[in-house]
Amino acid sequence: MDEQNIDPGLIHEIFKHVWTRTALEREKNERNEAPTDADLVIVGGAGTSKKNRPTSANSNALKLSAELIRIFISEAVQRAAAIAEAEGETKIEATHFERILPQLLLDF
Amino acid sequence: MSSPPLIGGGDDDEGFDWEAAVREIDVACENAKPSSSSFHHSRPSSVLDLDAENRRPAAGGAWNSEVASNYSSSSSLVNNGRRTGNCRQMTLDSFVGKAAAVRQVKKWVVEDVEGSAGSMGEVREGGFSCVEIDAEAAKTWVYPVNVPLREYQLAITRTALFSNTLVALPTGLGKTLIAAVVMYNYFRWFPEGKIVFAAPSRPLVLQQIEACHNIVGIPQEWTIDMTGQINPTKRTDFWKTKRVFFVTPQVLEKDIQAGTCLVRNLVCLVIDEAHRAMGNYAYCVAVRELMAVPVELRILALSATPGSKQQTVQQIIDNLQISTLEYRDENDPDVIPYVHNRKIELIAVPMGKDALDINKLLLDVIRPYVSRLSAVGLLQNRDCQTLSPPDLLNSRDKFRRAPPQDLPQNKFGEIEAYFGGLLTLYHIKRLLSSHGIRPAYEMLKEKLEQGSFARLMSRNEDIKKMKLLMERNLTHGAPSPKLSKMLEVLIDHFKSKESQNSRVIIFSNFRGSVRDIMNSLASISDLVKATEFIGQSSGKALKGQSQKVQQAVLQKFRAGGYNVIVATSIGEEGLDIMEVDLVVCFDANVSPLRMIQRMGRTGRKHDGRVVVLACEGSEMKGYTRKLANSRTITKHMHNGGTSSFSFHSSSRMIPHIFKPEVQFVEMSIEQYIPRGKKVKDATDIQTPIFTKKLTAAESAVVAKYFQPCPWRPSLIAFPSFQAFPSRVHQVMHSHRTGMLIDTMQNLQALSFPLDSRGFSFEDEAASGKCQGTESPNRDDNDEEDLGVGYGTPEHNSQSNSRDSEGPISQKLTTKNLSVLDLTGESHSTHAFLFGSDFVSVDSLGKVLISYVPSLPLKLVSYPRCPDNEAVPLNCAKRSPSHLKTLVEGSSGPTVLQNFCTHLHSLSEDPCKRNISVDGLKLSESAILVGDMVNGGDSVGDSFVDFGINSPCPSADECCHSREDTELSPRLTNMMQNGVVPESPTNDHDLLNDKERAEIITPMKLHTRLLTVSPGPWRNESNAAAVIGEADMADPSIIDQIQTPLRETSAAKVDKIVYSISPAPKASNSSKDWPFSPADDKSDSVKPVRRLKRLRKVGDLEKNKNPGSIKDAPSFHEANPNVCVNGAHRNQPKQGKGKREQFGIIQDFIEEEAEVSENGEVSEDERVDEDDNSYDQSFIDDRINPTAGSAETQPSRVDMMAVYRRSLLSQSPMVRESPSASFTPDCNSSCSSGKNNTTGSSSTNTLHSLRTPLHENQEGLQPSPAVPCTAASNIPTENSTMLEMRKRRKLTFHQPAASVPIINLEEEFSKQLEADPNPSNNIDDPDTHEDMLYDDQFFAALDALEAQATTTQQNRPNLSVQKQDTMLPNSELHGTPTFDLGI
Repeated sequence: MDEQNIDPGLIHEIFKHVWTRTALEREKNERNEAPTDADLVIVGGAGTSKKNRPTSANSNALKLSAELIRIFISEAVQRAAAIAEAEGETKIEATHFERILPQLLLDF
Repeated sequence: MSSPPLIGGGDDDEGFDWEAAVREIDVACENAKPSSSSFHHSRPSSVLDLDAENRRPAAGGAWNSEVASNYSSSSSLVNNGRRTGNCRQMTLDSFVGKAAAVRQVKKWVVEDVEGSAGSMGEVREGGFSCVEIDAEAAKTWVYPVNVPLREYQLAITRTALFSNTLVALPTGLGKTLIAAVVMYNYFRWFPEGKIVFAAPSRPLVLQQIEACHNIVGIPQEWTIDMTGQINPTKRTDFWKTKRVFFVTPQVLEKDIQAGTCLVRNLVCLVIDEAHRAMGNYAYCVAVRELMAVPVELRILALSATPGSKQQTVQQIIDNLQISTLEYRDENDPDVIPYVHNRKIELIAVPMGKDALDINKLLLDVIRPYVSRLSAVGLLQNRDCQTLSPPDLLNSRDKFRRAPPQDLPQNKFGEIEAYFGGLLTLYHIKRLLSSHGIRPAYEMLKEKLEQGSFARLMSRNEDIKKMKLLMERNLTHGAPSPKLSKMLEVLIDHFKSKESQNSRVIIFSNFRGSVRDIMNSLASISDLVKATEFIGQSSGKALKGQSQKVQQAVLQKFRAGGYNVIVATSIGEEGLDIMEVDLVVCFDANVSPLRMIQRMGRTGRKHDGRVVVLACEGSEMKGYTRKLANSRTITKHMHNGGTSSFSFHSSSRMIPHIFKPEVQFVEMSIEQYIPRGKKVKDATDIQTPIFTKKLTAAESAVVAKYFQPCPWRPSLIAFPSFQAFPSRVHQVMHSHRTGMLIDTMQNLQALSFPLDSRGFSFEDEAASGKCQGTESPNRDDNDEEDLGVGYGTPEHNSQSNSRDSEGPISQKLTTKNLSVLDLTGESHSTHAFLFGSDFVSVDSLGKVLISYVPSLPLKLVSYPRCPDNEAVPLNCAKRSPSHLKTLVEGSSGPTVLQNFCTHLHSLSEDPCKRNISVDGLKLSESAILVGDMVNGGDSVGDSFVDFGINSPCPSADECCHSREDTELSPRLTNMMQNGVVPESPTNDHDLLNDKERAEIITPMKLHTRLLTVSPGPWRNESNAAAVIGEADMADPSIIDQIQTPLRETSAAKVDKIVYSISPAPKASNSSKDWPFSPADDKSDSVKPVRRLKRLRKVGDLEKNKNPGSIKDAPSFHEANPNVCVNGAHRNQPKQGKGKREQFGIIQDFIEEEAEVSENGEVSEDERVDEDDNSYDQSFIDDRINPTAGSAETQPSRVDMMAVYRRSLLSQSPMVRESPSASFTPDCNSSCSSGKNNTTGSSSTNTLHSLRTPLHENQEGLQPSPAVPCTAASNIPTENSTMLEMRKRRKLTFHQPAASVPIINLEEEFSKQLEADPNPSNNIDDPDTHEDMLYDDQFFAALDALEAQATTTQQNRPNLSVQKQDTMLPNSELHGTPTFDLGI
């Protein structure tokens, strides 16, 4: 119903952000375990070994993800708005969000 | 090819000559002197061929085919075209042509013909390098115009592109721009080429990479800065992956030597601060290595001060293989406009009195040694005043090389000592003159502590005196005149300008004096925030600054943390120490080269000022002398220095075929992102990428919410809110959410008062949800109708109705909302609602009609089922009056009639009603109303006359008659039902039906009209329910019809419900989506309440089961619907079935009606019962019309449950309804008798199976329910009710049990019949639903609220109703039995 979609590219960026961060963390952990390999890993950067190959997602998956996130966000906002409205406020506050959050999370 | 023989004998030297020749040709071409080339060029082009031919064998086949082909092509070119022309030119052209040909074929990457390659090969390779040229890009060269164009830069760049150039430009005139443009063009021309920019220090490297980026914007992914800090393995990687390198010369040298630098791909080397390329400095080594490879590459050397002597400049030219010197100084006409006024002040500072004394003493010390040395003939200059350390050094060297013959060997050591002593003394003298007493004193003190100087001088009286004098001076003497002068200058400077914005650099040659200066600056710390800026090496006295500290100092200097830097020579060169307003040269006697660099720190972007502090005397003299020197060198360099220097040839790099035209381009340059450190890269780069695309305001907003915001939403902050389903927007609550809510309710031990008030909040929400759920139902109905194909017109009408209804519904909803307060008000509101509904109906006639038609259609489906078809036809005849689809409409009306009849069977009014309606020709809405009314009438028939129903007051009889005539079986069933309805069960059924119908209608309305349509229906339904209830209490509200109904109270209500219910049933039968959804919704809703109440009762399990059970394909809700449908089916099909159906309907109705009924009776009880019945099996409901009726009373509670469920299920409901609608539809269809899907069958089976259980359960349930109800609201009544119910149930159960089976069979057959319709219906509903989700929700919510209000209002009536119900129950008991018998 909403014409505006979230740009899949943005979603991709966010995903990549998360992926790389997790990859780095994993790498760090591994390095702690095997410090001798540390330099090689750094030099090779992410993706040299199979294990470290960056995660990827195809375009359709990204589109779907974008849509899911859009629905999730709009739902969250609408529900929070309903709460806020019920309280006679015109601004959605964090507390409104907290009220709908548990059920929202369970609904998704 | 013919010529080769002529010169075929060309010896190998030929190749060598050619190499030089080609270079010269290139140079010549650049200079537009094509004919200047020397002897070799005179060779005809054929020579080329010859050579090639000769080489090939010599190469021993090493020539690769490419080269060969190139040559052949070139030869053919030459042979074909150029022979007749000027020989020289021919040669050139042919050469070029060949090159062109080769390039065009894109064969540029000529394999290295190592070893085998003759000189020709080398030439070729060298000339074109090993790197592919982008022919397209090579047509132009790009010059950025982001910054204002300067002619001299453009000219120099043009030169530098095509020959190795030494650019000598004063500082601040944009050497870097020239370098960047050249690099960028080579970057373009050679897609595979590597470009190196070498700068002598790490800070410079970092500075230049950024500067270059900001000028031409070479993509950063291709650039890398490499200094000694990056380990070699990593550098190897970078050499492979990057294309533009900013390196220190040491790195370049080492990597070339290590072979990690891919020298063959080098196309351009830029050397910054080229004046360092002396001796064995890394620059020279690197270039030599490259030349030895050999590699043809463009070399661009940059320097502000190529040298102070002609020889040094020549050395640089030699070392760097420079072909052209581009020199500009501030006085050149094309430079002058860009040179800022730089005022150079030479301040002669007299030496202080103490210093003079000390100086005199020093000279006294020096004099005897000098005289002794000169006596030996080692010093030519006897004037100790003018002697300088270099003179002494030279003399000492001479002495060491060739000691005087007459000097005895044992004297050598003495003379060495003299020299050393003199050097030290002169050094001290110089320190004294240029830097003051303290550095000199420290020097002296240090020297006296040890070493030869100490041995030599320790006993010298003058030295001692001098030392004493210095100490005295330092302890309480006047500061050095230079220092005080400097302070003067600084104070003047900062007082004339805003000190914040002014920056000053003070240069000093010695760290010692730097510290002195710092100390003296401390005295004016209010004006000056000074810091020192020195090199890394740590001496004894002073610790060096690491590069990190240096960077920090510069950073702070830029930011204004410091406004004065006291620097040694490290600050002189290259470092872009921002714009400085004042440069103070604390010592003047430095090389002109360094002086120029120092002065270059200012006057770059605006006027600057340079103050040179020179001591009178030697320092002054030295300064003037060096100035003169620099002037002479500039003379040499003018006019390109062609007269003074000998240049080296260099290749053009770009084949002559390409004549790149300048192209002025506005570069779009991305912001430079400094390379982070290693692992940090990821994060460092990610955030910029993220923020880069945002405006400042946006990033500020982002920062506000994401950077400093440690807020983490709490999931447990509002546990009380988790006990109720939250409002949903599009996404319905999941099952897990339902579990959460249930759990929360359990944990919180929430007790829900039976009173509507207690539930008010929830109820409202629930009502809203119910409405939402209802809306889909309506849609479904509509869709079903459409699907049936009967009512295309109906659709129109419906749509119209929706439109028209919209406002009404809204009004109604609003009214309902306002009514929320309950009872009295609610009644009034209900009345209003009704009135509005009626009005709406009237005005919206179509709308109402549409609704009606839908119902009729549904009804039709019913009738169609088995026997009724014939009857429907009859009804149809009547229905036409309704206007809408003739056939469908007719069927619809018939259905309605049937329903009515059914209802009538109960009340026997329907027929009359229908007739009356027809007669009235009221809009369909009117019909609906009429139906409703009829229902009520039927009820009322028995009791009072309804305006509409009046025609057939004696419902039972009429119904019977009609049934007999039209739908004998159904009629009979109806009759039975009717009988049942008469009894409380019937009432319940009616109520249920009404509620369901209401729900359904609202659903439809919601779906299609969104809020609008649902409203009326809801209102109507609500009104009906309310009316039912209200009827009980307030007859006045329902006008004629309602009033009677009210009088009849429960009975009427029941009847009304029936009338409505039939419609839903019909819809169900017709596979109406709305119905199924409605049913589903109601079911789902019910379960919730059930759950709650059950929990209370302890029936939680049952509740859960039902909720979860809803086994059938259809959702939980769907299942109940199915059950209901099945019940409905059963009813119509069989007398027993009828009852069952009625029971089912009742159940549904109950569920729906529960709300209203609950209001009437103790809601809890009913709810419990209903829940149980629902949960356990629909059959129970069916079977237990009585129970249903009994439940109807509790139905209020059920309503609450329904609301809750609806709330919970809204999301699932709405969405599911479309998708699920299919299953539900099927179920509904099954119920209708058109058993389409297995689900329906399963449901039926389930029903059948469940029936017994349900019965049992019901029987059991009542008892618990009773207490609850009693506890909750009206104990006495409840108890009575319960008893009644029990009785009913018992009675009903038995019959029902028997009936169900039969019904099932019949139902199956019916379902089969119905199948076609459902499918059609299904599709439409989905779309509608999808479209209308939101609206539906809201509408549903509104409707629910309205219902809730109505229920609440009804509650007051409960007592009355209960009483009424009690009565009906008794009746029912009788009736059921009758039915069974029938």
